[in-house]
Amino acid sequence: MKLSRRTTAVAAIAGAAAFALIATGCSAGGSTASDSSKPITLTLATFNNFGYSDALLAEYHTLNPNVTVVQNKAATSDAAQTNMFTKLAAGSGLGDIEAVDVDWMPKLRQYGAKFVDLAAADNKGRYAGWKTSAATTTDGKLIGLGTDIGPEAICYRSDLLAKAGLPTDPDAVTKLLTGDWDNYYKVGATFAAAKTGAAWFDSAGATFQGLANQYQNFFEKKDGTVIATTNPDVKASFTKVLAESATLSSHLTQWSPDWSAGQANGAYATMLCPAWMLGVIQGNTPKVTDWKIANAFPDGGGNWGGSYLTVPTQGKNTEAAKKFANWLTAPAQQIAAFKTAGNFPSQVAAYSNKDLTSATNAFFNNASIGQIYIDRSKAVTITPFKGVKYAAVMKVVQDGLTRVETGTQSIDQSWTQVVSDIKALA
Amino acid sequence: MTVSTLRMAVRSPRRIALSQKLGRWDIRFSPYLYISPFFILFGIVGLFPLLYTGWVSLHAWDLIGGQGKFVGADNFAWILQQQKFWLALRNTFSIFLLSAVPQIVIALIIAAVLDQNLRGRTFWRMGVLLPYIVMPVAVALIFGNMYGDKYGLINTLLGHFGIPGIQWHSDPLASQFAIATMVNFRWTGYNALILLAGMQAIPRDYYEAATIDGAGAIRRFFSITIPQLRPTLIFVIITATIGGLQIFDEPKLFDQYGTGGANSQWLTLTIYLYNLGWGQLNFGRAAAVAWLLFLVIVLIGLVNLGITRRIASNEGRNS
Amino acid sequence: MTVSAPLRRRRRTLTIGRPSPIVYAFLAVVMVASVFPLYWSFLIGSGDSSTVNDPNMSWLPGGNFLANASSVIGNESVNFWKSLGNSVIVSTVVSASVVFFSTLAGYSFAKLRFRAKKGLLVFVIATTAVPTQLGVVPLFIAMSAFGWTGTLGAVIVPALVSAFGVFWMTQYISQALPDELVEAGRIDGANMFQTFWYIGLPSARPAAAMLALFTFITTWTNFFWPFIVLNATNPTLPVSLATLQANYFVDYSIVLAGVLLATLPLIALFVLAGRQLVAGIMQGAVKG
Repeated sequence: MKLSRRTTAVAAIAGAAAFALIATGCSAGGSTASDSSKPITLTLATFNNFGYSDALLAEYHTLNPNVTVVQNKAATSDAAQTNMFTKLAAGSGLGDIEAVDVDWMPKLRQYGAKFVDLAAADNKGRYAGWKTSAATTTDGKLIGLGTDIGPEAICYRSDLLAKAGLPTDPDAVTKLLTGDWDNYYKVGATFAAAKTGAAWFDSAGATFQGLANQYQNFFEKKDGTVIATTNPDVKASFTKVLAESATLSSHLTQWSPDWSAGQANGAYATMLCPAWMLGVIQGNTPKVTDWKIANAFPDGGGNWGGSYLTVPTQGKNTEAAKKFANWLTAPAQQIAAFKTAGNFPSQVAAYSNKDLTSATNAFFNNASIGQIYIDRSKAVTITPFKGVKYAAVMKVVQDGLTRVETGTQSIDQSWTQVVSDIKALA
Repeated sequence: MTVSTLRMAVRSPRRIALSQKLGRWDIRFSPYLYISPFFILFGIVGLFPLLYTGWVSLHAWDLIGGQGKFVGADNFAWILQQQKFWLALRNTFSIFLLSAVPQIVIALIIAAVLDQNLRGRTFWRMGVLLPYIVMPVAVALIFGNMYGDKYGLINTLLGHFGIPGIQWHSDPLASQFAIATMVNFRWTGYNALILLAGMQAIPRDYYEAATIDGAGAIRRFFSITIPQLRPTLIFVIITATIGGLQIFDEPKLFDQYGTGGANSQWLTLTIYLYNLGWGQLNFGRAAAVAWLLFLVIVLIGLVNLGITRRIASNEGRNS
Repeated sequence: MTVSAPLRRRRRTLTIGRPSPIVYAFLAVVMVASVFPLYWSFLIGSGDSSTVNDPNMSWLPGGNFLANASSVIGNESVNFWKSLGNSVIVSTVVSASVVFFSTLAGYSFAKLRFRAKKGLLVFVIATTAVPTQLGVVPLFIAMSAFGWTGTLGAVIVPALVSAFGVFWMTQYISQALPDELVEAGRIDGANMFQTFWYIGLPSARPAAAMLALFTFITTWTNFFWPFIVLNATNPTLPVSLATLQANYFVDYSIVLAGVLLATLPLIALFVLAGRQLVAGIMQGAVKG
């Protein structure tokens, strides 16, 4: 499950520093070329698609002839997580560099001793503060270097909006959807009233996800105490989303086969759209020509997903691995990954790169995705705290939303069960 | 033992002492030698995991953080107080019954049919095993498409006849039925071939004699096939029980999360232990569930063995 | 009992004459159900990335199978030939070893007399009741201690003998091999191993052939443990094919083309071994 968080506006002040960072990022790779002559192999374990093409890895080999890189690609974040936790438990067998999803990063943060501190002079200030703090242990050790982030916009089907008599042009839809969640629901009500046969959004779960990422301490206090059952915001959001979803949602649980098929069949008109979602939509609906992106998000901004590279201490070549991770997450390589797989850079310095600022996406009717997502990441103003239990609590709440959406339980019954399930997590 | 000792005693006078000794050793130790590879390998790769898991279950043990303090039976006590555990136990049984019973009955029918003097024997026999070679990723995808609540193949078909779609994922019984279908799909042909091998080993003259005595096909099936098949039947039932109670792949693949459903509709014990171990990183509790599951399986296995023996031997006596 | 329904129609004897068309009709239904998933995989695998979500998917194959298949083979991160070779090695070694040791042990349990036999057999069966999910961590620790991680040995060695195989051969031999034959062998002066080799083994051939086929298939399609213990430089087929799914959007036409490619050797094995297997079953029956 992809669950997540948001960005700060550090990007805004990054202007001048940015160029300096690009320079250091590149020199880090270059200067180490002659460091060592002992030939070593570094294993890089990733999942989904990090955009690390063979050409990119070969480039590092050219810069550092003694280093050969082997990439182990797991299919899903779930498979990668099982693999990584098993080997952490066994105490051996991990890759020299392990990619970690933002969802399971909180679980790893409490085991700082098992990871190398990646903080270095040339990656200081590289990221938005929230991205770094999510990978920093309580004693100040940086165990993960950010790869991509998932700032959120809204994707919509212009044909369905046209059917309901709503504007279809991205600028007009951006204007229409700029506002708070109530505004998003209100436009949805207008859409639903037109009875096009399609729903306004895909699922209560996905919508709740977007909303949850806009609170500082939603499920847990700063010290990790779970407050999900007592925080009035949680219950209010839960109830509100479900009340709206009764008339606005297609009730197709995110990532289910029905959800993918629904995307292809026009079952819903809009969806929350982190940068990496574009590839999902295009893959699911290659023949649909009406997808567009609104440069807007209810209540400002939000981040969903994104990953890190970590260097486990059990590796044999942790110094070389650290250097390599640093190089891979430097702006130039993040731009390369963006070009390969569409992963949106987490490096603030990359936001002034022309390849990014001028990037467009033909499938989404030539949307200027570079600029849109730079804007969307700047709109992220809150750093949600995610502790050890965050992912487990989110799963319980998501299950609760699904129970109501599938008609198994009433909102009240479902919430009662959410409360008792969260207690069982203790 | 006594028979062979006797026989040796009879032959021994003609042999010299050494070969006598070797012969005795041969008889005494060969059986152990023949079964030893299993036990040696088990000692190397099986015993350690078993003991390790037992050790873990007695501790507060974080999957990543490792061993915590000794807590005795606390993990077990906690598990037994969890509603989820009992729910998972119930689901495990109900999926097991929904799958194992029809699976064995249909496998018996298919085996009996294949046991005949068919044209194109090889073709049919290999054909029933085809589901077994389909890789899990394809199985998940196919059944995901069949059991989609909205766009699934089955509900689309029902829709053509004006029948409302079945809520395959939210309805507990429907979801368990769907999972049982996935299990049966994979294992029925497999069990049919095992039963067939057993049937083929029954001497044909038994049937011929019975036919001459005027026994019909059904009577022959119940009074010759079933009793003669007893060892193979015991094998099929025991392995189907053990495999069925450990069911993991199918419920894990049944939806995109693999955690047993929003309302734990198809949460099985293995999924529960996986959620505890890899989801909540509570290795101690997961190990406790593993041991409890092991005990449940042994218990049910023994009950099953008793019933099977009785049925099969009664059939034998009645004939 | 429901077993009787289709059998009721069968009036003729089991050994004489041909079964009725109804039997063939029943088998045809079973066959359609068995072939369906492979055919469906072929429909997706011969289409393009949109086929899987197409509500009006055609029931006739598309024309892209060869293109999809060659893109699987040509994909460097799949490392197709290397993983195919590894799968062949692993499956062959494991099934040969399982068959030999299981037959030996099964013969011993079924036909020889020794102290604590029952208890030991129950122990063997009980080991299959240990949930495997948790075993992964300690097994990995063990493999790592032996220095086998990343090598085929880590996949092969734990699978060399199977409790399942021992149990199966025990049950089969106890049913198929009459005690008198074993005793006759002993009276003829054969030693224990000769008795096994010339009497036990031939009688077990049909079951052994089947065990070989089952073990080969199970090992061939096994994903989880090889995924944990092997790596990208030295994978088996299911492990390397999983990298085809490493994307935000999974192109199932390619994935299923890969799955079908990996299944082809098994189908070839069916064709080659099928006759042998059936012959084996018949032979065993005659001997019994």
